[in-house]
Amino acid sequence: MKEPDILFLIGGPQGGGIESAGQIALKTLVLKGYSVLGTRDYKSNIMGAHSYYTIRARFSRPGAIRFPVDAVVALDAESILTHFTDVKPGGLFVYDSGVLKTKIDSIQPMEKALKDRLKELFASKGLPPITESAIKIAEENGVKLVPLPLRELVRKLAEKTGASLTSVSKAVNTMGLTAMMYLMGVEPRCVEKGIALHFAAKKKVVNINVEAARLAVEYVESNFGGPRETLPDGPHRGKKVMLATGNDLVAMGKLAGGLTFQSYYPITPASDEAIYMERFRYYELSNDAREKLGVPKLGTVIVQTEDELSAIMMALGAAAAGARASTSTSGPGFALMNEAISLAIMAEIPVVLTIWMRGGPSTGLPTKEGQQDLLHAMFSGHGDNPKIVLASGDHVEAFYDAIKALNWAEKYQTPVVHLLDKYLASTTTSLYPDEIDSSKATIERGVRVDDPSEDYKRYAITENGISPFAPIGAKDMILTGLEHTEEGFPTEDPVIRDEMMAKRRRKFETIAREIPPEEKVVLHGDPDAKITLVSWGSTKPIILEALKLLEEKGVKANFLQIRVFYPFPVKEVLDVLTRAETVINIEQNDLLQAAFLIRGFTGFTIKHHIKKLNGRALWDTEVVQAVLEILETGKEEVVVKGGA
Amino acid sequence: MARSWMEYRTPAWVQWCPGCGNFGILAAIQRAISELDIEPKKLTVVSGIGCSGRSCYYIKGSNMHVLHGRAIPVATGIKLANPSQTVIALGGDGDMLGIGVEHFVSVGRRNIDITVIVHDNAVYGLTKGQAGPTLPAWIQTKALPGPNLHDNINPVLLAFASGYTFIARGYAYHVEQTKELIKQAIEHKGTSLVQILQPCPTYNNIMTKQWYEERIYYLNEEEPDWDPVVSTHDEYIAKMPRILMKLVEWGDKIPLGVLYRNIAKDTFEERLSKIILNYYEYPPGRRPIEVEGKPLIDPWTVFKEKVVETQKI
Repeated sequence: MKEPDILFLIGGPQGGGIESAGQIALKTLVLKGYSVLGTRDYKSNIMGAHSYYTIRARFSRPGAIRFPVDAVVALDAESILTHFTDVKPGGLFVYDSGVLKTKIDSIQPMEKALKDRLKELFASKGLPPITESAIKIAEENGVKLVPLPLRELVRKLAEKTGASLTSVSKAVNTMGLTAMMYLMGVEPRCVEKGIALHFAAKKKVVNINVEAARLAVEYVESNFGGPRETLPDGPHRGKKVMLATGNDLVAMGKLAGGLTFQSYYPITPASDEAIYMERFRYYELSNDAREKLGVPKLGTVIVQTEDELSAIMMALGAAAAGARASTSTSGPGFALMNEAISLAIMAEIPVVLTIWMRGGPSTGLPTKEGQQDLLHAMFSGHGDNPKIVLASGDHVEAFYDAIKALNWAEKYQTPVVHLLDKYLASTTTSLYPDEIDSSKATIERGVRVDDPSEDYKRYAITENGISPFAPIGAKDMILTGLEHTEEGFPTEDPVIRDEMMAKRRRKFETIAREIPPEEKVVLHGDPDAKITLVSWGSTKPIILEALKLLEEKGVKANFLQIRVFYPFPVKEVLDVLTRAETVINIEQNDLLQAAFLIRGFTGFTIKHHIKKLNGRALWDTEVVQAVLEILETGKEEVVVKGGA
Repeated sequence: MARSWMEYRTPAWVQWCPGCGNFGILAAIQRAISELDIEPKKLTVVSGIGCSGRSCYYIKGSNMHVLHGRAIPVATGIKLANPSQTVIALGGDGDMLGIGVEHFVSVGRRNIDITVIVHDNAVYGLTKGQAGPTLPAWIQTKALPGPNLHDNINPVLLAFASGYTFIARGYAYHVEQTKELIKQAIEHKGTSLVQILQPCPTYNNIMTKQWYEERIYYLNEEEPDWDPVVSTHDEYIAKMPRILMKLVEWGDKIPLGVLYRNIAKDTFEERLSKIILNYYEYPPGRRPIEVEGKPLIDPWTVFKEKVVETQKI
């Protein structure tokens, strides 16, 4: 039997339960023993705009989503019109049959550009500019149509549960989802378990949604028949599974990593990290820690500040006073923090800046994917501005990197920029206990003196460039952003200036030496492959999927993932790139920022590039297409454009 | 036996112009902390950028010299990480009420137990005399190319609106009286403001020593029944009209002294300790974060709401 690999999406208006439907679907599939990946696409809007949740499930963890999908649930006219071409031939299109006469122009939230494209398409086929035309085209494409009379089903649901029409009308998401999952071979009782798990304590809501699911199954069965076959159970039944987003995992990593202070200003897609952490800011210690420390719970102070300037400065103050501190933001907030990064470098204050990238420039695409802040991270801060920059490739890396970033910040008394992005932030996956295991992590704080002697100097000149750290309050001292003596007094003396610049440079040489090569870059796949793909950040699992697909097509490639950009791993990168016959760089930014850095630091010019700029998740299939195109034509640049 | 104020001096050369009001403020701070007998390492002075920003090098403490306008958030971070520390954030009127005014306002909402000192000379001294946010309109000090077109901000009224629970005004050349105000501000639990009027003999040739001394008066001397302390809501309502009159009084007469003090409001630290119950015992800067190099928590226990037990189907 071929391993099942299912892929579907559910679309509807923002605020219409799309997030809930996605969560229920993920939970249902996890209960069935599957490994899942679910990503949410939404607009900068609270209610009404189109949003959708794409889910892929199979036995091994899915690394990418892609279109076309096996099934679409479209809960409103805009969803039908947005996704009618996103289903494979033979796939399912579940939709609200009550909106077929809806005119394209009457859908207010829909983008004009999309309306124009659709009207042109429909006109070219002699079809009127209404929703039904999309259904006709889907049918022509060989898609199996599953119209649901949602309004009628809602009325039945109200009758059956005795609840008001308004309170049950929200359950259309569950109806659509259940109808689709049932036809895909998921047992209704699994969906019911998923519903119960999702709404947990809310008994009444569970009841309404379970009844909604049953009505949907009943309707589908009597009108379209049951599924061809039942989906087999996955191999993870009986396991403990964690369903978490990248935001969640960074929050968990930070708390496990001993974070004691976080400040932040609300911004998409970063704030969910701090908000999640805030829910657990006074937490139970593990048995061992409780016994050894003699305290059952400890807390982390989390402060929502007035702006990002305050967020970073508060974190710097807390860090100077001995706290393990971080702040979290996205590109625009990070821009405001630049001056403070320079202070942290000069005053040698440990701090982690977790940067959740999104589409820029400026406010750009605030809720969409982008990897446009690599150069921003590298060059943040004025003056000579060395710092540590690391980028996480997936959920598991995000968890351990959050801990590692805190370690490095304190060990080297420097800002650490931890780069992540919107895709990781709002993508959920299933994780197992051996993958997220805090006992595998180590906490290191570097040379700290809690009780310094009289002759302690905050900026002592040392061979490795690292001055022992004493927190504010341990002794009289001065931390400063002015050039300073070993004691921290300001100086403009030319000799001391040179000594201090050299000390700080030695610190970065120490960092470059001490970070193990395998933590700076990872070469995935066959090291002897003639083709090397280069990328960084959340494209990792997507490119790993692409490698497998390429191999099926007889193309052998490996993948160089750059994890640490500063200090730049010159030797490690050059070693790989000079061995390859063809190097293809993959990034979600227009300036090809990683390639720019590679050229600057190593002198190696990458000749081929694949980029994605439209704010949608990268697909493994489009990477494969683009690689093949480059290999065939020798093209320098391919822009991939998938997504709705 | 309190320490001598001399013990709070440092080896650094005090680089201000002769006659600068900062000298008086420096002496007042040193005397206040010596009389409060605060150990130098338990004192933190965080200063912004400008002439007054240099103060952190002249007062023996566990200090930090930060960015223009950002002394308050740094002071806040230090205080929250180590609530047993005495923390003073100081800067000029440009620093605190110009570039850093968002922090000047927001700290009041939190009522963090720190003292904010504004060295108010109405000009930007270190950049050679541009108009500060407290310089009244149509005044043309000597470095200005034309008269100032901006109105002046009222720091004490702004502090009041922002939620500061201690508001006082002093005068830089009156070291003894200013010292007393700073002492009370430090001793007050909550966010305190001491606005210190300070002639700048180099750049402010209008608001001079003579200009100030013709106008200032001490509230407790001219109005012996002056009582700005509020401990209940009723008292707040009853005393407010008179306090407000004094907060807005500016011109021919400028009142000095404690303008407002509210002892009913809890501090941010106290609020935190209602959520993190052992916050004072284990503050962020002084708590264990590992045992033998290992994390203190297991994500599978703490974040169990994210865990799905698949055998339950």
